[in-house]
Amino acid sequence: MSEKKKKQRVSPAEVLRNNTVPLMFIVICAICIPLSGFSPSYLFNEIVTRIGRNTFLILSLLIPIMAGMGLNFGMTLGAMAGEIGLILVCDWQIVGIPAMVLAVIISLPIAVLLGWFCGTILNMAKGREMITSYIMSFFMNGIYQLVVLYMMGSIIPIRHSNIKLPRGYGIRNTVSLLRMRQKLDKLIPLKIFGADIPVMTFIIIALLCFFIIWFRKTKLGQDMRAVGQDMEVAKDAGINVERTRIISIVISTILADIGMVIYLQNMGNFATYSSHSQIGMFCIAALLVGGASVDRASIGNVFLGVTLFHMMFIVAPAAGAKITGDSMIGEYFRVFASYAVITIALVMYETKKRRARSATGQQLALEQQREQEAA
Amino acid sequence: MNENTIEKKGIKETLSDALKSFGLPRIIIAGFLLLLYIMAPIVGADLPTQITNTINRFSWNAIMVLAMVPMVHSGCGLNFGLPLGIISGLLGATLSIEFGFTGGFSFVMAILLATPFALLLGTGYGWLLNKIKGGEMMIATYVGFSSVSFMCMMWLLLPYDSPNMVWGMAGKGLRTTISLEGYYDQALASILQIKIGNFEIPTGTLLFFALFAFAIWAFLHTKTGTAMTAVGSNPVFARASGINVDKMRLLSVVMSTWLAAIGILVYEQGFGFIQLYMAPFYMALPAVSAILIGGASVNKASIANVIIGTFLFQGIVTMTPTVMNNMVHMDMSEVVRIIVSQGMILYALTRKTEATR
Amino acid sequence: MNTKRTFFFRVALILLLVIIAALMFIIGRGHTVYFDNKAIEYNGQSIETPYKIEVTVKDERVAKLYDGERGMTDTMGQSFSMIVEITQEKGGDPVAHAVSLALPYSMDGIILNIPAMMAGLPADAYLTEFIPTPDTETEDEDVVTDEFATDEFSI
Repeated sequence: MSEKKKKQRVSPAEVLRNNTVPLMFIVICAICIPLSGFSPSYLFNEIVTRIGRNTFLILSLLIPIMAGMGLNFGMTLGAMAGEIGLILVCDWQIVGIPAMVLAVIISLPIAVLLGWFCGTILNMAKGREMITSYIMSFFMNGIYQLVVLYMMGSIIPIRHSNIKLPRGYGIRNTVSLLRMRQKLDKLIPLKIFGADIPVMTFIIIALLCFFIIWFRKTKLGQDMRAVGQDMEVAKDAGINVERTRIISIVISTILADIGMVIYLQNMGNFATYSSHSQIGMFCIAALLVGGASVDRASIGNVFLGVTLFHMMFIVAPAAGAKITGDSMIGEYFRVFASYAVITIALVMYETKKRRARSATGQQLALEQQREQEAA
Repeated sequence: MNENTIEKKGIKETLSDALKSFGLPRIIIAGFLLLLYIMAPIVGADLPTQITNTINRFSWNAIMVLAMVPMVHSGCGLNFGLPLGIISGLLGATLSIEFGFTGGFSFVMAILLATPFALLLGTGYGWLLNKIKGGEMMIATYVGFSSVSFMCMMWLLLPYDSPNMVWGMAGKGLRTTISLEGYYDQALASILQIKIGNFEIPTGTLLFFALFAFAIWAFLHTKTGTAMTAVGSNPVFARASGINVDKMRLLSVVMSTWLAAIGILVYEQGFGFIQLYMAPFYMALPAVSAILIGGASVNKASIANVIIGTFLFQGIVTMTPTVMNNMVHMDMSEVVRIIVSQGMILYALTRKTEATR
Repeated sequence: MNTKRTFFFRVALILLLVIIAALMFIIGRGHTVYFDNKAIEYNGQSIETPYKIEVTVKDERVAKLYDGERGMTDTMGQSFSMIVEITQEKGGDPVAHAVSLALPYSMDGIILNIPAMMAGLPADAYLTEFIPTPDTETEDEDVVTDEFATDEFSI
């Protein structure tokens, strides 16, 4: 009902305003692509690889948005769980796709636990979910370092010296996943225009998309949307708000966990202490580039976002080097663009929220006035 | 007898109230620091050196922590956008060197040159925060990040050419770290410095901080200052009593930004280097957690919180590596620092605050 | 009733995951197999090396070994099959043998002495564990926990 109303009222200016970020990125890409001098086939190959690599992770952000908890910076927690699973699997010398499956299963309890913890904390910080989940990712990074840098090898047995630090405990800076590398992507080989298509990864992403579409229609999904709309109303309707919110974060963390395993099998190795720390930021930036906002995100946003964001990421350094003669400029530019996108999206969301609030306030005052006049 | 029990209960209650207001995490952290100081001589660390280090680091960081106070008072929350102020300070520092000022005078000039940037950026930042009331902290964080990454490009592109600052080979683009030797290295610390064996006190820096702390304290007791506090504690009431809420908030943000600019300059004079590019990126977090450790909350902060908090935080930062290293030959200080500081911020964010908008 | 059913489903799900995990442990175990073309002595019996040995695993030529040489391949799971082509004399015709064997789970690296294996000697004669030379590095690796230290922006 309310959505229909919105659709009727949409003016061209509104459409433009709602899509500022994607349009900006399209312009940036349109300028940078010719400057970068990359061939279309190279770009196509890169983009396909990156879509396969990253989409699953970005999809993990959708469910907390549905539950009104904003952008889940705590998805980093899931990524950490996935990395712990991969380190263990690597030490046990399990290889190929079984290794991926095992890593996911091993890290699943960790992800559930972390997600539950994160959800509980976020319930204590209602209205400040984003900054809290953001600080949460830093806090957990400390715990992660405690486990991986000090407990692995001393308490948690690690046998192989190629991943253990020479001092006898702690994991090395990089863990090689060579015997797992692109095993999923290349399970069903297919070449289009000279580009390897990660068919199996795309199938899994499609399955997740169907899951999300189905999930929205379930009782739990409906509850989540109700909680996202208005917590008080949802509570009055008999929905367990706290529990629903925790579940949404747990699901997101689990998906981020699986997503990280898929991401890293494509990369073929990972930086033990820094791979996860930036992943949340980049996934959120990519989602926002696709036109999502803090309270609304669709699967379409994910795909548009991952394409545009990665296009910018590929071409910016080369284009920057062409314009300024310094390759670092482009590197810094793409970092700046990612942060600026998140800033703009957050500002737009808050101003919109404020406008809506003052509008309802005015309406309320008007109704009161009318009632008084009638009395 | 009856009276007696009531009185006893009263004492108990006041005690538990005091405990509650001080907060369990703070007691744990203070206890931990005390333990570190007791352990230090036992494990063979030189206590005077340790105390000197703590005091030094306190003097470098205190003003950046102080920068939190105005924004907390006006209800803008914790200033996660501290890097914006830091950038103003960095601009002042680099320009002062570029224009050829040397010695202690370059410090004064750095402050003077940083001020217009701080005022300008602070005004823009304050204007933005007025548009998005209620979502300040998250947006502040990203304003900080965006500005730092934007300045990364600028440090490369701006036409600096002082040979002490640019890359030697290319002759352009600022270096990531710039030595302050010959400029304002120890400019404040060397004033009235007290030296007894291994024990040193950077009196000048401490006095400089005291000056600012007193100024902020005095400001908060002026008419404008109380109005600012009123805006933070009850914006509806403040508006009703004729205070311009947006103007007060703007003023507090400008003050915070300027203090951050001064704060980074003081930090540099103690540290001896200017750090550019990604260095200011996470500088807000230690300052935020320090003031929270000192007993502040998202909407309440005093000068005492700043002093206690900076001391406790910097104490832990300096003491853990030495004690841990001497004790278990394992440098877990980084992990301890992350868990303590981020845990403290998490704790503060989950507290129910009186004035939730 | 309903809670009972949910409980049952949860237990079944956890059980299923555990079973899959156990399965993965078995089928996903990776080994590195090394092939030697070296002469050995076993119980007084001495085995001579052929002129050339070629090893094919899953239609891929993984090793071509002359006297005294060693080749290697990575494999997954405990059952390992390969085609060994032996050329006894220079210029002679190669003779192909299909060989399948079970690899011991506990060994990461396994050395197969092909001549001994082809001569029909027992497993302990031709199968030995490959033990990598212990690390001689004494210097500790510096752990980098700083986010900006690596090229993490190249996602």
